[in-house]
Amino acid sequence: MGRKEDNIKRATEVMHELDQIRNLCIAAHIDHGKTTLSDNLIAGAGMMSEELAGKSRVLDFDEQESARGITINAASASMVHAVEGEDFLINLIDTPGHVDFGGDVTRAMRAVDGCFILTCAVEGAMPQTETVVRQALKEKVKPVLFINKVDRLINELQVTPEDMMNRFQEQITRVNKLIRQFAPEEHKKDWQVNVADGTVAFGSAYHNWGITVPYMKKSGINFKDIFEYCNNEQQRELAKKAPVHEVLLDMAVSELPSPKVAQPYRIPNIWTGDLESPIGKSMMSCDPEGDLAMMITKIWMDPHAGEVAVGRLYSGAINHGESVWAIGAAKAERVQQVSMMVGGDRIPVPSVVAGNIAAVTGIRSAAAGVTVVRDPETTPFEAIRHYSEPVVTVAVEPKNMKDLPKFIDALRSLAKADASLEVSTNQETGEALLAGMGELHLEITTYRIEEEQGIQVKVSPPIVVYRESVEGNNHGRAFEGKSPNRHNRFYVEVEPLPEDVIKALRDGEFGDGTVRQGDRKEVGNKFSEYGLDKDMMRNIYSIKGTNVLINATKGIQNLHETRELIIEAFNEVCKKGPLAEEPVMGMMVRLVDAKLHEDAIHRGPAQTIPAVRNSIRGAMLRAKAVMMEPMQKTFVSVPNDWLGGVTSEVTQRRGIIEDMPSEGETTTVIGTLPVAETFGFSNDIRAASQGRAIWNSENRGFDMVPPQLVEKVIGSIRERKGLKAEKPTESYYTD
Amino acid sequence: MTRGASCFMSTEKNFSTSGLWLIGLGPGNIDLLTLGAVEAIKNCKYVFIEGYTAHLQKNDLKDIQDRFGKWDILMRGAVEKPDELLQLASQESVGLVIIGDVLQATTHIDLILRCQKLEIPTHIIPGISITTLIGEVGLQAYRFGRQTTIPYSYKSYLPTSPLEVILKNKKNNLHTLVLLDLDPTGMGEKIPQPMSPFVAIDILKSMCEKLQSEGEPMIEDIGSWKAVLCSNLGTNNQQIKYATLTQLSEIELEGMHCLIVPDSPHELESLALERWEID
Repeated sequence: MGRKEDNIKRATEVMHELDQIRNLCIAAHIDHGKTTLSDNLIAGAGMMSEELAGKSRVLDFDEQESARGITINAASASMVHAVEGEDFLINLIDTPGHVDFGGDVTRAMRAVDGCFILTCAVEGAMPQTETVVRQALKEKVKPVLFINKVDRLINELQVTPEDMMNRFQEQITRVNKLIRQFAPEEHKKDWQVNVADGTVAFGSAYHNWGITVPYMKKSGINFKDIFEYCNNEQQRELAKKAPVHEVLLDMAVSELPSPKVAQPYRIPNIWTGDLESPIGKSMMSCDPEGDLAMMITKIWMDPHAGEVAVGRLYSGAINHGESVWAIGAAKAERVQQVSMMVGGDRIPVPSVVAGNIAAVTGIRSAAAGVTVVRDPETTPFEAIRHYSEPVVTVAVEPKNMKDLPKFIDALRSLAKADASLEVSTNQETGEALLAGMGELHLEITTYRIEEEQGIQVKVSPPIVVYRESVEGNNHGRAFEGKSPNRHNRFYVEVEPLPEDVIKALRDGEFGDGTVRQGDRKEVGNKFSEYGLDKDMMRNIYSIKGTNVLINATKGIQNLHETRELIIEAFNEVCKKGPLAEEPVMGMMVRLVDAKLHEDAIHRGPAQTIPAVRNSIRGAMLRAKAVMMEPMQKTFVSVPNDWLGGVTSEVTQRRGIIEDMPSEGETTTVIGTLPVAETFGFSNDIRAASQGRAIWNSENRGFDMVPPQLVEKVIGSIRERKGLKAEKPTESYYTD
Repeated sequence: MTRGASCFMSTEKNFSTSGLWLIGLGPGNIDLLTLGAVEAIKNCKYVFIEGYTAHLQKNDLKDIQDRFGKWDILMRGAVEKPDELLQLASQESVGLVIIGDVLQATTHIDLILRCQKLEIPTHIIPGISITTLIGEVGLQAYRFGRQTTIPYSYKSYLPTSPLEVILKNKKNNLHTLVLLDLDPTGMGEKIPQPMSPFVAIDILKSMCEKLQSEGEPMIEDIGSWKAVLCSNLGTNNQQIKYATLTQLSEIELEGMHCLIVPDSPHELESLALERWEID
C-alpha cells in the first residue's frame, strides 16, 4: 500500500473519532500564498510529493485556476495528521482570495469551525483579508494567524530580529482588533491570538517551513537559528527541522476546536429550529447516530460524475444509496456516491458521518446553501447571507445554434454553483446575460462554458451595471399611482437610507425578502439601533437588496390582502428604476396612503402591481432620482521607475489616488476608479510598467455619476435596452 | 349635451356624428339583443367588442358574426388605456360591445368619465345582465346581499375577502351571487379562460383554510354548503344545478359559470330550488 492509499485508509477510520476532527479553511488576500500553503499541508500529509509542494498547487484542480495562478473554487481536501501517536483528520476547505468570488468564501466558512488567517510578512494584512476574517467571525469560526513570506523579510528587506518582531506585533494587533470587533461576544477575549500561546505561526510556505513558540520549545530551534538558516540559504534544512505542515497542523489540532466543541455554539447561530427537538439535540452534540442534517456549501461540475455537492454534516451520516431530501425539492433523491475529497480526487466511501465534509452525487436539487435531510419537514439551516451585487454584465450566446439546449443547461448549472453570478436567458434567441462581480469573474465563467462544456460562445464587450437611487425625498408630497381601472390609488414617499444602514443591509444584517409579521417588531428594533424611527420601522413589509418597504398607512381596509402584490411591485422597481431600468439601491419606500376597490376582483395583480410600481417610480422622480456607478478600489505595486506611467493610467481613468506608500524600491498606488473605466486596465498597466506592476482590486460601493456624464450614461443604457430615448417624467407615472 | 351620458332612449340617434356607444350585448344569445343594441351595432362606423370581462360561447359568437360581421376584440390594455379608442370616438361613431350589461359588474364607468372630460358624446344601451338571468333560479332579488367574484390565485396572492362577503351575507340571512374570474394571468390580455366550478370551489376552500390559519373562528366544512351552479345562463346550453359545493365541484362543463350561495331560503324559494337538485 502506497503512502497515499494508507492515508486514505487512516482517514476513513479517524473520521468517526469526533474529538480528532478539525474542519478549517485558510483566509487570505490574493497572492499571499494560500494555495501554496494548502499544497504544503496536503503534501505533508502524504497526499502528494513534498518536493512538488509549493510548486504544483493541487487544490487548484481547475485548469483555469492553475493557468491564471489564482484560486477560483473552494475545493476541499481531507488529510491525516498524527500528534503524539494519535491520528487526527484535518478537513481543509480552500477559499478563493479574489474579491470577485466573495460568495464562495462565505459558503466555505459555513462548513468549517476554524480558520488560518494568512498574511504576508512584507505587505501585511490587506483589506481583503479583513473582509474574509470578518466573514469567518460572523460564522463563529475561530481564527489563528500564520504570517507567511518571512524569508523575504529576512533576505530581501534585511530586517533585524527586533524589526521583525515589531512588524509581527503590528499585524497581530490589527488581527486582534478585528477579533474584538467582530467575534461573538463570549469569544472576544479567548480568541485573541498571540505568539506566546501558540496561536500565531510564521514561516515560508514556499520554502516549506514554519514555526510557533510551542514548536520552538519542542524542537529547540530559536529565532537566531531561523535568521541564520535564511541568510545562509539553508531553508531546505530548516524545512526538515520545522516543516510547515507539521507546525500548522499541530497548531490546528491544539488551538482550533473539534466539531464536538464547536457545534454547540455554532448551531444556534445557523439553525433556527428547536434545539430541544431530537434533531436539534443531535446537531448540538454532533451525533453520528442522529438524524441526517447536512448543509451543502458548494456545487461543482465533474466532467465524469456531473454535479457534485460538497457540504458539512452536522448530524447523522450520509450513506451510499439512501434516499434523501434537499429541502425545498419536489421529491426525495437517491445518493449515488458518497466521497471524501483529496485535492482533485474523490475517494468513494460507504458513508460519511457528522462533523465531516462529504462530497455527494445524485442530489440534483441541491444548490449551495441547501439543507439535506431525511425528513423534508426539518427546519433548514439559515440561508447563507451573501449579497452579490453584480457590477458588470456580458451578453453570451452560442456560436452554433445547435448547441443551444446544451448551452442553457450549462448556464443553469453555473448559476447553481455560483451564487454571485446572475444569469438571465432569452429562450428564443439563446442570448444570455451574465452579471457578475467583475470583468475577471465573467471571463472565467465564459471560459468554463467553452472549455468544460465544449460550447463555443460569442461574448459581448463587458457592460457596467449602474444603480438608481434618490438624492432627496418627497415628504409631504406623496406621489399618487393609479391602477389601470382607476379604482385603486397608492400614495408613496421615498428617501435615501443613511450610509450605515445601507452597509448593514448589504452585509445581510436584516436578511432579505418579505418580513414576517412575527419578526417585524424585532427587525424594527434593530433598525432603531441605526437611528431610524422604531415605530415606523416596525411596520416594515419587505427588504430587497439595500431597499426597504414600509407600510406607513393606518386602518385601510383590505390593504393586507394586497400586501403580496405591493411587495411584488416594490421588487420590480428595485430591479428596474425609472431612469434607465437599472437596479435601485439604498432607498426607503413608504406607502403613506391607499384607496382600494371594495371587491377583490377589481384590485387583483393587473391593477395593484402597476399602480404601486407607478407610485414608487413617480415618487423617485419627485425626490430627484440619481444614477450611481460602481467604484473599485485598486492597489498597484510598481517599481519606482515606472510609477509615473501607473499614476497617469489611474488619473486618466477618472481615478483618484488616495495614498502612495512606498517601501524600498516599490510603491503601491492606492486609488479609486469607476468600474466603467477599468476595462482593459490590466493590459494598459502592464504596458505602462513593462509588465512590472502587480495589481489587484476590490469593489468599493457606488458613487453618484458625475453630473456632466449623467445624461450620456442614461441615454446609452436606454438605447442599448431598446427603451424610448427620452426618460420618463412624473406625468408619465400619473396616469 | 356633453353633461351626463345620454341613455338609450335619447332622441338623438345620429350615428353620423362622433361619439362612443356602450352597447350591452346580453348573454350572447342573439334573441336576447335589444332593438337599440341592434340599431347601434348596425349603424356605428366602428364596432369593437370588449374581450376580457366576459366570454362568449363559440356558436353564439358565430351566430353574431354571421349576422353582423366580425368585430375587433379590445383587451384590457386598450380599454383601460383608451387613448386610441377615444381618439377615434372623437371623430367617428364608435360602438363598444360589452357582453352582459355595460355598467353592472364591470367598471366601464371610467370610460364615460374620460369621454366627458374630452367632451366626447356618450350613449349607453343596457343589456341583459347575469343579475337579471339568475331570476330563473327562483331566489328573490331583495334577499341578495353584496355580490362578489372569486379571483384566480396568483403566486402567493390569495385574497380572502370574497369568502368574507359570503359569510357576512349569511350572517344577515342573505343569498350571495358569486361570479368567477376568467383570467388566470390577471393581466387581461389573453383569451379568457372562465374558471371551472372545480377550481372555484377549491379556491374557496383555500380561502377558508387561510382565514382559519389567521385565527378566524372556525368555519363549518364549506364543502357541505348547498349552492346553485348556474352555467351558460341565457344561452342554449344553460344549466342550473343545486347541490353541495363538493358535489358541484365534480361537474365538468364548458363555458361561463357563477355560483349562488343561498341562505335560509323561505318556503317558496325552497320549492323553486328543489327543481334544480341533482338526483
